[in-house]
Amino acid sequence: MATDVQNMSRPRERSFSPLARAVHSPLSVIGLLLVGLHLFFALFAPLMAPYSISAILTDGLTPPSGLHWLGTDQIGRDYMSRLMAGGRVALLVSLTGVSVALVVGTTLGIVAGYLGGLGHLGRLVDDLIMRLTDAMMAVPELLLIAILVLTFGKEIWALSLIVAIVYTPGAVRVIRSRTISIAAFDFIRAAELRGEKTGFIMIREIAPNLRGLMAVEFAMRCSSAVLKISALSFLGLGISQPTPDWGLMVQEAMTVVFTDPWFVILPAIALSSLIIGINFAVDGLARAYGVVGAETAT
Amino acid sequence: MTHVDVAGLRIVYRDDLGRDFTAVASATFSMGRGETLGIVGESGSGKSTLARALLGYARQGGLISSGRIRVGDTDVLALKGKDLRRFRGGRAAMVPQNPLSSLSPHMTIGTQLRELVTLHTEFSGSTLQDHVLSLMVKTGLRDPEVLARRYPHEISGGQRQRAVIAAALVGTPELIVLDEPTTALDKTVEAQVLNLIRDIQRDMNATLIYVSHDLHVIRSMCQRILVMKDGEIVEEGASDEIFHNPQSGYCKSLVSAIPRIEASGPSAPRVPNPSIYLSMNDLSFSYSAHSGIFGKRKRGPAALNKVNLAITRGHTLGVVGESGSGKSTLAGLVSGLISGHDGKIIVDGEPVVGVARRRRKDLRRRIQMVFQDPLSSLNPTHTVADILIRPMRLYFGLTAIEARSRAVALLADLELEPELLPRRPLQLSGGQQQRVAIARALAAEPDLLICDEVTSALDVTIQASVLDLLLRLQDMRGTSFIFISHDLAVIARVSHQIAVLENGTMREFGTRDAVLTAPEHPYTRRLLEASDTEKGET
Repeated sequence: MATDVQNMSRPRERSFSPLARAVHSPLSVIGLLLVGLHLFFALFAPLMAPYSISAILTDGLTPPSGLHWLGTDQIGRDYMSRLMAGGRVALLVSLTGVSVALVVGTTLGIVAGYLGGLGHLGRLVDDLIMRLTDAMMAVPELLLIAILVLTFGKEIWALSLIVAIVYTPGAVRVIRSRTISIAAFDFIRAAELRGEKTGFIMIREIAPNLRGLMAVEFAMRCSSAVLKISALSFLGLGISQPTPDWGLMVQEAMTVVFTDPWFVILPAIALSSLIIGINFAVDGLARAYGVVGAETAT
Repeated sequence: MTHVDVAGLRIVYRDDLGRDFTAVASATFSMGRGETLGIVGESGSGKSTLARALLGYARQGGLISSGRIRVGDTDVLALKGKDLRRFRGGRAAMVPQNPLSSLSPHMTIGTQLRELVTLHTEFSGSTLQDHVLSLMVKTGLRDPEVLARRYPHEISGGQRQRAVIAAALVGTPELIVLDEPTTALDKTVEAQVLNLIRDIQRDMNATLIYVSHDLHVIRSMCQRILVMKDGEIVEEGASDEIFHNPQSGYCKSLVSAIPRIEASGPSAPRVPNPSIYLSMNDLSFSYSAHSGIFGKRKRGPAALNKVNLAITRGHTLGVVGESGSGKSTLAGLVSGLISGHDGKIIVDGEPVVGVARRRRKDLRRRIQMVFQDPLSSLNPTHTVADILIRPMRLYFGLTAIEARSRAVALLADLELEPELLPRRPLQLSGGQQQRVAIARALAAEPDLLICDEVTSALDVTIQASVLDLLLRLQDMRGTSFIFISHDLAVIARVSHQIAVLENGTMREFGTRDAVLTAPEHPYTRRLLEASDTEKGET
């Protein structure tokens, strides 16, 4: 807590808005630009793409030409159109899944963290929530995902739900530990002395102090979720044909990796530029909100 | 002959946005071998930055941009790598403020000292262990064999600071820099550590630089004093000279702000019929610990033991004691932070039980509390307006508009501008923060205000203004105060009655003058002596 207070007692640095501070590091500017570019493509790919993603236009692999700037894939679909849209599903699934995970995780985390310090009954609630998250985290992640995919299927809503389930326990833990350190502050004592209701303390006194951590958590977990979904698609557990997806595209192109390596390299570059972009942006965010790196790692 | 020579030293900090901020403007001073120099100033004055620079060290983001530092015939700023490491901890040593953070928590005290001895001296094998033990004996650590096997968290704060001092002595330094080494310690322990430092300095004929915000301590330790403000040295001179005949305006206000026991106490309150507002009869309390989920409650040792106290309407009861004396437990029981006491607390004829949540709303309103650290007691995400308006709406059901105009009036009472309303705590100075915290408590229009070490986190000039303000507010509103502090001089300034606590037991309770001039209990006498020593009068 001592260091918290020290960090807090530097108003001259804090007087700038978090965004202004985030933008000041060149790395996070690059990160934000990359993320913006990817979001732009994800939103507008169908409008900009020269061809439909599923239309079969040639007899199979063709090299780049005036008609097809990046050529066509094994079954003759326009490669550029597919590459532009390859991040849409992964991003959509990550954003919705992680949002749900963070909402549920924050709620449970605040409840566990704050009630845990409020006597016998509260500690029981805390124990219950924490043992549940322990149980979920004890199952190897890939196994858990495989089971969930078999249960719910590979629809977009199902994949989002799976992301939400997989990411909730981590969010609970991070939010709970921060809640415990916030609950140690005297402004919480002051609220208790006023006789504020527990709900008021959790929503009005604690939650606003979690904003920075939540922003960082959201971004970090989105990057991890995108990577995970692409890995799943690569393994055949995720997004399936004919939806274009970078992970899936790499997998499809494995057979031609020695003759036409570009079909592997291009989606890999697209995927890594998105992940790197998010991670750079997170660095800026974390610095802007003064969130310590160690705490966001799970 | 000059031993330490600093000339034109300028240190700047560069923040994330690339802006420079001068921490030390242009420091020039010199010291002879064996001299003692105190650097005094308020937080942010650059005193620690200057002291650290003497070891060729600048905090992260800091840069020694110009100037010269010589210790003996060594140009400190020209030292690099191995030479610099050998210089630090060898010829020059530093004792930092917080001993717990400067000791490694996963190594025993003995191991840490052995590591340093190996690094800086030729000792090895069995002579190594002997040397470590002799260092510990030198710093007044009894049973060195036992303590050497302990981890930092297993020994007391005073022992920890002695161990850190032992670590500083490893290389028999000729220059010792102490940065607020006793700020985290209790008064009586502080007096012992100060004596130790004095003895060591004399024995080793070391040149000593002592950094503190506490002018009393500096005066008792040092021959000469540098007074710093905003990175500038505003005054330099012999200790007594500065204390009795300060030249600069800042220095005058600094000296006059120091609370003194001999100074007069608060004026008699104008209360028509001073009746008892709150009394404690045989109040006892012990913290209990749970073991496991379904484990039994276990009673700990008594934090309060049969305490009998009374507070008169409109008067101030000062409660003084060291950490662990039970004074914060007392505040917690009265305010309702904790519950489960034996004996009785009676407020206005009505017995009080349970935590605040279980009490009637009106009772909650009548007893308010101000905490020690305003940064911790104000929610950083709320504005000053949010903070002040909440209790008004809760207790009096005011509309937002009514509450806002009352908040403006309240700020005026606390000598704050209404422009502060939209600001957040981090945008306020330390003194403003504590005033806002007091305003929040007064917004409930309490009968009793509990002040738990409310000025301990503040600089001395701000402390003086906050104390004066509290006295004026009491005069205006007729509120009763329980004022808790470890500092007898602060207690003497504000209290009508004084209670002395030690280890949960009340040692003395009486009117201010009786306790201060004719203390009955030896513990009270010891406290009075400790604050005398500090003033350098022994």
